[in-house]
Amino acid sequence: MLFQSNRPYCGMEFSENSSATQYTPHATLLRQLLISSLMALAMFFLCVGKSLAAEHIIQMTAEEVHEDGFGSKLMAYKMLSHTVNGTNITHRYSNHATIPGPTLFLTEGDTVNLTIYNDIPGANAGVLKGISSQVSVHVHGVHYKIVSDGTLKVINQEDDQGAGVGPAQTHANYSYTWDVAPGTAGTWAYHDHNYETHNGAEHKGLFGAIIVNPVGAANYAKEFVLYLTDDAFWGMEIDSHGMKQKKHGINPDFIARKDSEVRFHLIALGTDIHKFKLSGYQWADPGTNNMINEVAIGPLEKHVFTVKATKNAQYSDENFTNKLMGMVGKLKVSH
Amino acid sequence: MNKYFSGLSIPLTKMTVLILFTVTMLASSMAFAAVHNITLTAETLPNGQLAYKLSGEARAAIPGPTLFVKQGDSVNVTLTNNTAVPVSFKVPGVGEQNPAMTAPGATATYAVDATTVGSYVYHGNSNGKELLGLFGALIVDKTDGSVERYVNDNGALTAVAQADIDKQLVLFMVGSTFWATEIVDGIQKPLWANPILGAAEDEIVRFHVLSVGPAHTFHLHAHRWLKPGTDSVIDTKLLVDGADAHSFTIKAGAGVGKGDWQFHCHLISHMEAGMHGSFKVGGAGTSSTVGASPYGRILLGTDDVPGLVTFEISDEGASWFRSARGDAIVGLPYDIKTKSLEVMAPGSSVNFVMSDTNGVHTISTLLWPTGAHHMPFDQTSAYRGGGIIKLDTPGLYVFTCKVHPYMFGAVIVDDPNTVGLDLGNPEKEYKIDLVTGISGLPTSSDLAVRLLRTFFVATSPDNWQDYSSQIWNVKFPTLPVRISGAPFSEELTQGGVSAPLSILNVNDAPLALLGKPAVPGVGEVWINTQFEKTDGKTKPGTITVVDAKNWTVKRKIALPEINMNNPHNMWVNRDQSVVYQTQWFDTKLTMLKRNNGQLIKNIHVGDTPSHVMTLPSNDDITIAINGENGVALIPAGKFEISKILPTQAAGHTSANPHGHWVSADGKSIVTPNINTGDIGIYGVDGKIHSRTSTGNNAPGAHPIAIGMMPDSSKVYAANLLHHTLSVLNGDTGALIKTINLIADYHPITGAFADNDGNGEIAVGVLPIQSPVSPDGKAVVIASTGGQIVIIDTATDTIVKMLPCDPGCHGANFGAKKGGGYYAYVSNKFSNRMIVVDIDPNGDGNIADAGIAGDVALVAGNNTAIDDTVNSLPGFGGQGVLAIPVVYNGWVQNLPSKWKKGLTDAQKNPIGH
Ligand SMILES: [Cu+2]
Ligand SMILES: [Cu+2]
Repeated sequence: MLFQSNRPYCGMEFSENSSATQYTPHATLLRQLLISSLMALAMFFLCVGKSLAAEHIIQMTAEEVHEDGFGSKLMAYKMLSHTVNGTNITHRYSNHATIPGPTLFLTEGDTVNLTIYNDIPGANAGVLKGISSQVSVHVHGVHYKIVSDGTLKVINQEDDQGAGVGPAQTHANYSYTWDVAPGTAGTWAYHDHNYETHNGAEHKGLFGAIIVNPVGAANYAKEFVLYLTDDAFWGMEIDSHGMKQKKHGINPDFIARKDSEVRFHLIALGTDIHKFKLSGYQWADPGTNNMINEVAIGPLEKHVFTVKATKNAQYSDENFTNKLMGMVGKLKVSH
Repeated sequence: MNKYFSGLSIPLTKMTVLILFTVTMLASSMAFAAVHNITLTAETLPNGQLAYKLSGEARAAIPGPTLFVKQGDSVNVTLTNNTAVPVSFKVPGVGEQNPAMTAPGATATYAVDATTVGSYVYHGNSNGKELLGLFGALIVDKTDGSVERYVNDNGALTAVAQADIDKQLVLFMVGSTFWATEIVDGIQKPLWANPILGAAEDEIVRFHVLSVGPAHTFHLHAHRWLKPGTDSVIDTKLLVDGADAHSFTIKAGAGVGKGDWQFHCHLISHMEAGMHGSFKVGGAGTSSTVGASPYGRILLGTDDVPGLVTFEISDEGASWFRSARGDAIVGLPYDIKTKSLEVMAPGSSVNFVMSDTNGVHTISTLLWPTGAHHMPFDQTSAYRGGGIIKLDTPGLYVFTCKVHPYMFGAVIVDDPNTVGLDLGNPEKEYKIDLVTGISGLPTSSDLAVRLLRTFFVATSPDNWQDYSSQIWNVKFPTLPVRISGAPFSEELTQGGVSAPLSILNVNDAPLALLGKPAVPGVGEVWINTQFEKTDGKTKPGTITVVDAKNWTVKRKIALPEINMNNPHNMWVNRDQSVVYQTQWFDTKLTMLKRNNGQLIKNIHVGDTPSHVMTLPSNDDITIAINGENGVALIPAGKFEISKILPTQAAGHTSANPHGHWVSADGKSIVTPNINTGDIGIYGVDGKIHSRTSTGNNAPGAHPIAIGMMPDSSKVYAANLLHHTLSVLNGDTGALIKTINLIADYHPITGAFADNDGNGEIAVGVLPIQSPVSPDGKAVVIASTGGQIVIIDTATDTIVKMLPCDPGCHGANFGAKKGGGYYAYVSNKFSNRMIVVDIDPNGDGNIADAGIAGDVALVAGNNTAIDDTVNSLPGFGGQGVLAIPVVYNGWVQNLPSKWKKGLTDAQKNPIGH
């Protein structure tokens, strides 16, 4: 644990106190530069040391959420606990199972140990739904060994990698190890891969995202996470102050302070191909300098962009049926 | 499998293709550019699929040869067409976008300049037939020898030269199937459909993922790569509609190690349809395993490897699931009249591709051998694409589309070691399971034989009832089959061994029209003769307009100018001047003039619109978007949808509403939700008032059409696959009663008896439309099994069964001249309309309900036409609309000239 007290010097956003890299204003420029470069050198060695990267211990469960009132159910993930190098940040998440599921903020170099539980009725009582009552977490983007694939044995040839009754193995819970290795920065989906079929229930509410930032990445005033599904946007927003996850639900109206930098994270799920549009705004197509004002996005693709919030806008899916069904929301800019 | 199919065991001839190009180096300024002269043929494979073959190779392969060139090169292709369809060589995004077609037997040349680095699809441009296998990859590489960088395990973007590549994998995503070729040291090896890809850990593997047809997203577990032209790291990539290509390089297992890593399309419907495979990263020498081959163990296949049969999903009547070699199968000496039947050995796969349709569909098993794995095969919602499934258990599998539940395709998986084709699982006494929850049904049972007959009639126009011919023949294949033994169905078992299916044949049964009803109807009857084909269209379907004054066919409307596709159901505006027509296998609602059948407007409304009705309150148009998840609204007088009312809360399974009805006050819309098995009552403001399951906890009820009491007090919903009629409270949606329409039928013996004790022996097998008479006295149910069942709404019991034809489908009421109502009933697999009089003596008691007569739906000499009928005349009867509309709520709005022909009671059906 002693090592981990050094952790804030990496300047990563998961430190609850990120001011540790500030220096005294009384130093001369030369002295400041010298110290800076020495510190940078030290930080480099500290940060590449694996044992110094943040260790996330996460426990989540899946629940049934009664949504439509006519007997048809969706499911959702709920955060039970999340510690980063022993610091508990569970308060950032909702106390309830939510659609979308928790957004996990990670930094390149981190490791994650995530344990999934299954509170869907019957799942632990030997009741098999379809070929499997398991719930799993299959993550995109980061590194993991085959035992952490979050799939059924029929796919991975190793194990039914979820919590609950599976066709080959039954587990009360299942733990995954993710290596958030260099080169994995980006926004990635995680989703169930095991419930009822070997395709899982990603289209029935069991999805969420990880946001992997590079070391020393910029901060955004607001993070807007939007999932494009076959009939609605599901989303949430996160304020950089406190990192509290809010506004879970359908076609949320996002709020940004005027002229603040906000980041949109789009992930598609389901079967439809979407065309996302944020009226009156342009942004750089990721990995390029091309400015675009709409983007085609298909299931499990991601598209991340930032804009300066200058004016109210409507975001929408221009897909014919989806737009007519009301797949639109607002970006409200306040002063 | 019997001796007819002994061709199944020719040894595997290992197939490797070495691509040798004739390369001519050019002199002068283009010193480093090359001209590639490539000679291709287009071939038909044993399973009927099509493929390109490189000259000099023994065999054609899917995908076709991968053509590697360098930027600046040019490619000259000489193509000889050995198939039966016109083919081409089109490279979307490069060169000629409308290349000439090469006719069957002809040879043509095509030239392509590889000006821009990238990966490109080439394909046959054959009006959908290219999706059967006429596609391949053209890879234009940089002249400096470098290819796409990979993301190393430490995140470094690592440069790759051609020489660094250990293996290239070409993966085509077509329908919902992967077609692969593996290239090592320049040797191209076909891996066919859904193979296991293999590589040793740390090998440098270059993927070329391409698509033709509907869009996909490609995902490979635990690997990352670069979005082309950027430093952006991705693990999933969209391949857009049409043709698209995406090349990337990985180091196998970088940062993640060995394992069976799944690759798949990430569209849920495609995943459910089988669109996945495995990328096995192992030790040195890990290699790929070939998937299902069109040359493999199928009827008349040549190679002793897992085989593949393929069905094209089509909008054409009877051939909805058309074997890619349907014409050849019909030509075999077994009297097979259907193109929708395939035979293969256990361990082979069935492939489906929606290559000849404008609609969305599902590929869902209706029945399968008891004990078969991975059953039912199904998808959560309708989609564009295809499907693939490996079948290991012998027996009969019948596939259908949940949206269009008379689309049938059948596969017999036959154990080669038994005599006769296995119709059920030999290890389970040849029994079958049904999607409705019935399991262990003997294939010798009357129900099983009935289902078999239904399949062979629905998919074989030769077996339909053509009243013009005055006789009816039903031919079944002469193929011997093995079914469950005695004591049932002696005729098929002949003592328990096997007998040819043709023992069920119907030979020269007389077929005569009853004659026209004696009392005329009021106005016109419009019938969607949905399968009728005409010269000016590639898509089937006409509207047949019958003059109810004299029962003659007044007009046939095909609308060749819009290639009207499968017209299914109609309604009309208030002043009865504009008819609204849905195109059920398409995306359009068509508006046309009632008086002359001319087109007004063809409007995109969404996938697979089924029924249309107006709101009596304001004449707005409501359209059930059967392939999707809502009811579209077009304001009266407008040509654009204002909104789509969702039929389910967000995130929930699409309801896929089919034959909705609107309450007489125009305040609520009632939909039968075929996909979720419930009846929804919705406000026109979009509120979901109630949703009520109709299956009594058994799966697959398939509510399909709604009728409503004239005061909207009760809702009647026919459940197609449960053979029941649900009665619901029109206000609350509460289930009042479920009327069993096959209570009087014994599914094993086929015996009929008054089991429900209502004094009538009456059954309605596969009920479809169930309108309530405008006076609220009777429900008339058209049952596709060939019956019309009449329900008394006072008691909600069956009072009568009347004979109908195979595929009995549509029913709607119109006014009878002088008072009373006729129910007009249509048939898919015959070409007449049946007219039912629910109360001939007009005493208010419907006990005397009967058939008043019938009308042939074939064009006569005086029929006005806009196109020439060339086949299936008058067939495919589905939606029916009597004009004027005389239902309570609508009849009051009729213009006076339309009211004139009605009695006072008809003008005010429940208020007088
Ligand atoms: Cu796909
Ligand atoms: Cu269909």
